[in-house]
Amino acid sequence: MPKLFWLLLHQERNIILFFCSTLIIFLLSCSSSDRLEGYVYYRLNANPTTLDPALITDVSSASIAAKLFNGLVRLNDSLEIVPDIAERWEISKDGLRYRFHLKKGVRFLNDREVEAQDFKYSFERILDPKTKSPNTWVFDKVEGAREFQKGDAKEVKGFKVIDKHTFEIKLRKPFSPFLSMLTMTPAYVIPEGDVKKWGNDFASHPSGTGPFVLKRWLPNREVVLERNGNYFDKKAKVKGIVYKIIPEDLTTITEFELGNIDVISLPASAYSKFKNDRKWNKYIMSLEGLNTYYLGMNSSRPPFNNPDLRKAVSYAIDRRKILETFYEGRGRLAAGPVPDLLRKWDVKAGINYEPQEAKEIIRREGMSGINVNMYVTADQDVIDLAEIIQSYLSEVGINMSIKQLEWSAYKDAVNKGEPDMFWLSWWADYPDPENFLFPLFHSSNLGPAGNRTRYVNKEVDTLIEKGQNSLNENERNNFYKKAEDIIIRDMPWVSFWHRTDFLIKQPWIKGYEVYPIYTMDKGTEVAIER
Amino acid sequence: MAAYVLKRLLLLIPLLFGITLLAFFLLNALPGDPVLSLVGERASPEVIENIRKEIGVDKGFIGQYMGYLKLLLHGDFGRSYYTNRDVLKDIIMKFPNTMRLAFAAMLIAVPLGIVAGFISAYKRDRFIDRLINVVSITGLSIPIFWSAIIIMLFLSLKLKLFPPSGTGDIRFLFLPAFVLSIPAMATLSRVTRTTILDILKMPYINTARAKGLPSIKISIVHVLKNAIIPIVTIIGLDFGSYLNGAVVTETIFGWDGIGRFTMEGIMKRDYPVIMGCIIFGTAVFVLVNLITDILYHYLDPRIRLHAKEK
Repeated sequence: MPKLFWLLLHQERNIILFFCSTLIIFLLSCSSSDRLEGYVYYRLNANPTTLDPALITDVSSASIAAKLFNGLVRLNDSLEIVPDIAERWEISKDGLRYRFHLKKGVRFLNDREVEAQDFKYSFERILDPKTKSPNTWVFDKVEGAREFQKGDAKEVKGFKVIDKHTFEIKLRKPFSPFLSMLTMTPAYVIPEGDVKKWGNDFASHPSGTGPFVLKRWLPNREVVLERNGNYFDKKAKVKGIVYKIIPEDLTTITEFELGNIDVISLPASAYSKFKNDRKWNKYIMSLEGLNTYYLGMNSSRPPFNNPDLRKAVSYAIDRRKILETFYEGRGRLAAGPVPDLLRKWDVKAGINYEPQEAKEIIRREGMSGINVNMYVTADQDVIDLAEIIQSYLSEVGINMSIKQLEWSAYKDAVNKGEPDMFWLSWWADYPDPENFLFPLFHSSNLGPAGNRTRYVNKEVDTLIEKGQNSLNENERNNFYKKAEDIIIRDMPWVSFWHRTDFLIKQPWIKGYEVYPIYTMDKGTEVAIER
Repeated sequence: MAAYVLKRLLLLIPLLFGITLLAFFLLNALPGDPVLSLVGERASPEVIENIRKEIGVDKGFIGQYMGYLKLLLHGDFGRSYYTNRDVLKDIIMKFPNTMRLAFAAMLIAVPLGIVAGFISAYKRDRFIDRLINVVSITGLSIPIFWSAIIIMLFLSLKLKLFPPSGTGDIRFLFLPAFVLSIPAMATLSRVTRTTILDILKMPYINTARAKGLPSIKISIVHVLKNAIIPIVTIIGLDFGSYLNGAVVTETIFGWDGIGRFTMEGIMKRDYPVIMGCIIFGTAVFVLVNLITDILYHYLDPRIRLHAKEK
């Protein structure tokens, strides 16, 4: 019935005409450059949750905040602490007083000069319970911090404004990682006036002193930063930065191949494709990360309160083989919890793959055929890995069941100590071995504070504390070495590897550096040269 | 009519009330703690306790629910635990995007689906019918994430016709709308085909033919008019669900809609966001259904809006 068909066509003529014309418009207006000239394009896989330094806990937000704000000190390329807003500083002999001399002429966006009082305000705001900051631990060691948090004091005694350009922090007791911790996001300076003006919305109207200024933030779409022409330090080479928020990896790769995004981190699935592509492989950059991936064992209750069983698990798994095959060699084998790049001492040789030894321990302990569980997230990589671990353990007589949970429920369960075994990683916030020892193994941090294996060892506690309090680097490393040796012996974790990340950039991107810590990239070095 | 609409709208109030209670209960029964998701990897118990108090999740189920209702009665959906942004404002900002996507998908699906169904029915068991059947069954069975990726690789990467992701003008809209329209188009063509085949067997079609009416007039006046009710039902249902967001499509194409917003809220246990989206979504769905019901009456006067008028 062709007539009918033509009639329908006729009836729907307007619609069809509309389709045809829009299609032509599409064809003419090809998808290419929507790009802002002179801006560099990055990708975020999730919307940054907040740009208020007090509230940031995610890496997306923190890496943007690094470009908007400054602290007293920051890290240079070799992970050393260098001046930021503080021009220089002195630490008293007893390690308690940190006196910072601020640079003159550092200005907020509203052109007001940054003064010592601004640091006092910004830091006290972190500790103020009304701020709801999850980052109070950064200033926990400051004198009077706890009294202030409890509401027993109107101000924090340890934050002292000496004069307009001199700010002093006094600690309760010596704490060696403190200066490192001041490079972190919560230690940025913010203008009181703007916080008061915006209230809750300061998070989306951040204003600081950084090399960039927030121009536009369309949640779940893009964040656009513009160069701050009045920045007190080396000014950015690009006009601005656009962060495109693209949740899906495959979409990101498509955008990259079309030249719409300038630098992306390579997901595991795309690694070999680009690696074997002659056009692209010279633009791949690698980053040896300050992180440790580990298999945690709940050492607070049977069966893993038995260190021998934990050791057996460790003997039973061929980590090197998993790293080289399953993980495509994208990491370095871990000898202990502290990343190799931060460890300044020789570590006692870790435990190798010795299934006979594992069987022997299990037989001796009479634990053959024991049932344990492992909780994992719904992430396919992790599930695959858990199955590999499962097969290694079954070979030595441990029956491991796998329970899969959605991320939030998983985190909850692990924090509460529900699983026997779990898979997690820890990433450095500041480059100090203490960052991998204190939160993860000190008995004061059980559960959500970091020590999720619930490992308790008084000797380790003491050694870590001594390290924190020590003012001499060699002495400090000696304490940390001893602590790590005991941890490796007690084996609350099986340390798997330190992950290496791969990024790929467009040929026209110059001066882009990859940094092991998200606070390090101020975005001033990258340039576009077409 | 006005009375009917008013009655239906009034019914929305107890419905929304029931939905909030049910959703609240389910959220509380879920494993996963919003505060633990919120505080990052290194939070002391005091901080957790403090935040718990500040956002009010320490008050127990009844207390929390009452607090939430009180907020709602003031026309406030609360603020997101994470972003601290006003939930209602975010929904209002994202809804137009979702609406554009839903409209565009329907704009593609409805004419194409109905035309395909018509052709299929009139060319029953011929090659074109089989072809349309195969295509629509494929369209129904292929998961959206797969078709989305294939279409993106082809149209964006190979042919460079459309941008692969982003929220914006019609160029950005086309890919997600097209992908989203596929299942609706397929369902519509199937339903149209079966309905028309049924109608073609009806005595009144024979009568019309016997009267010597031109077949075109029969198709439009007698067939299409009688087939319209199931078609409108399908459109209403699909449209209602699209207006509540299309999570997969929105995620793959980076479209900033309600679906992604809801999903992120759920993943992070961001109660105010989840509740806000559920309430808003329910209201939208009910309204679309109401409009569909009213349309029934106009399209087929035999359908009465009031039970009393029977």
